[in-house]
Amino acid sequence: MTISGILSIDKKKSTLMWFLVPITVYMVVFFLYPVIYNIFIGFFELKLGRTPIYNGVSNYREMLADTQFLNSLVTTLIFVFSAVSVEVVFGMLIAFLLNHENRVMEIIRTFILIPTVFTPLVAGLVWKSLYHPDLGMITYYLRKFGIDIGRGLIVERSLALGSIVVVDIWEWTPLMVIIILAGLKSLPTEPYEAARIDGAGEVPIFFKITLPLLRPTLLVALLIRSLDALKVFDIIWAITGGGPGTSTTVANLRIYEVGMNQLRIGYAAALSNVLLIIGVIIGIFFIKFIYQKEKL
Amino acid sequence: MAIVGRNGTLQSTINIFRIFLILIILAFIALPVVWILSTSLSQRIAMFKLPPKLFSAFIIDNFKYVFTQMSINSWIANSLIISIGTMILSLIIGVPAGYAFSRINFRGKKLLLIMILLTRALPTIVLVMPFRLIMQNFGLLGTRTAVILIDTVYNAAFTFWLMSGIFESIPSDLEDSGRIDGCNPVQAFLYIAVPLSKPGLVTSALFAFIFSWNDFLFALTLTSPDTTTLPLGMLSTYGILQQGWTYMAAMGVIAIFPVILLSLLLQKYYISGLTFGGVK
Repeated sequence: MTISGILSIDKKKSTLMWFLVPITVYMVVFFLYPVIYNIFIGFFELKLGRTPIYNGVSNYREMLADTQFLNSLVTTLIFVFSAVSVEVVFGMLIAFLLNHENRVMEIIRTFILIPTVFTPLVAGLVWKSLYHPDLGMITYYLRKFGIDIGRGLIVERSLALGSIVVVDIWEWTPLMVIIILAGLKSLPTEPYEAARIDGAGEVPIFFKITLPLLRPTLLVALLIRSLDALKVFDIIWAITGGGPGTSTTVANLRIYEVGMNQLRIGYAAALSNVLLIIGVIIGIFFIKFIYQKEKL
Repeated sequence: MAIVGRNGTLQSTINIFRIFLILIILAFIALPVVWILSTSLSQRIAMFKLPPKLFSAFIIDNFKYVFTQMSINSWIANSLIISIGTMILSLIIGVPAGYAFSRINFRGKKLLLIMILLTRALPTIVLVMPFRLIMQNFGLLGTRTAVILIDTVYNAAFTFWLMSGIFESIPSDLEDSGRIDGCNPVQAFLYIAVPLSKPGLVTSALFAFIFSWNDFLFALTLTSPDTTTLPLGMLSTYGILQQGWTYMAAMGVIAIFPVILLSLLLQKYYISGLTFGGVK
């Protein structure tokens, strides 16, 4: 390479380094700093309008005895686990149902995108109306078919969380379908041809070829969905507000209550740091996985 | 699946079963969509009748009411300003950075990517509480700017990640030959690389818009009554109107209309954004 060539590569690099400055500064100021600040104020007794008092780990000690928060954490885990597992399994089944190339399937695949862009708060209000204990359409027909839903789906403690999970399934199963369909499309055809020549049936082909090949796609979809399900707020806020009782109070709602209504900001920060840890743990799996793919 | 001939009856039974399943799934997906449309066009009184019916009437009074009797215009304006603001800021910050990331190696490259990807893992509630305090110190609490700033954290990161993938798939030969013709690196980026990456730009812009338009939690914690967005405004009237589902539905239709329209019109880009990261 000529000297001028090397110089121009150096010039290119030094110019392009400037392109990275805005995003780095932005993320440090509006992402890292708030997160670190949150970790920091978790060690303070911080109430609005009062001087912060350093109190070490006593917020965390209080948390360990805070049954309301611990319950909300359990509710969160139940919500995330049940919603995401149903979404992945249904997503796969529906993807196989729709995995045919024709005009009708194309239209259906377009149509099922709608829940994924449907404003979550609006979706929540719509489902709340459908679930209404006296006038809701779903309530009416469930009762008509003789299904016992007590005083109503979102009135009975035992049914409320499940009803919210159904809304999440409605909203996000289509995403799984779309991701899995794209994954199916990108699969190589050779293993299938070989298996068919060997006379393998459809069921063994699915378990021996399709599932292993689809594994990376399923895994990343599972991680992304789990991270997003952990953020659930809007639909619960709209439908039950966390009730009846605390049956649908996920950690996000509890933290909001402590921080925004009780104005115990230090304690809310400490509670949210637990979620931060859960998010980062799932996030590390996610990042490791992306790394393998990008081979950095 | 090539089972034909003697298994013909079995095959057609399976087909009927398949069609039946697909219809059930479609009905489940369609119910809330059809309900909100029909309710927005119904008379209020119809909401109190059993059995509940879809399409009991076809009136536009509910839309007239929400546009004349509520502050919906200012909510729409706020939502639009926040969504478009986020879209522009995310592109400005994310696109050049994604380009540079795909073209050069430097120390700390991994660290930058980890930071970007961690935004995806960060529970929103963890960011919004300290963000509120920081915005208060900046004197920005209650402004649309505060919401744009927090929305951009997530969307600049997405744009960056998506665009770095897009630029990686575009060979740098063209830019190099452009540079020999006297383009400096900035011109090579603007006039050669950017035009080639249009699909990525559309996807990034679309996702930033949808994210901010659909946001509720950030608007709830960071706006004031003057800067209320559409979802937030809608909720505030749901309680007051009691069983006024028809007005809520009309507002809901107005809220979901732009995002559904955009995602259908730009379907190719929308799907490529949805599947990005999952399939590569």
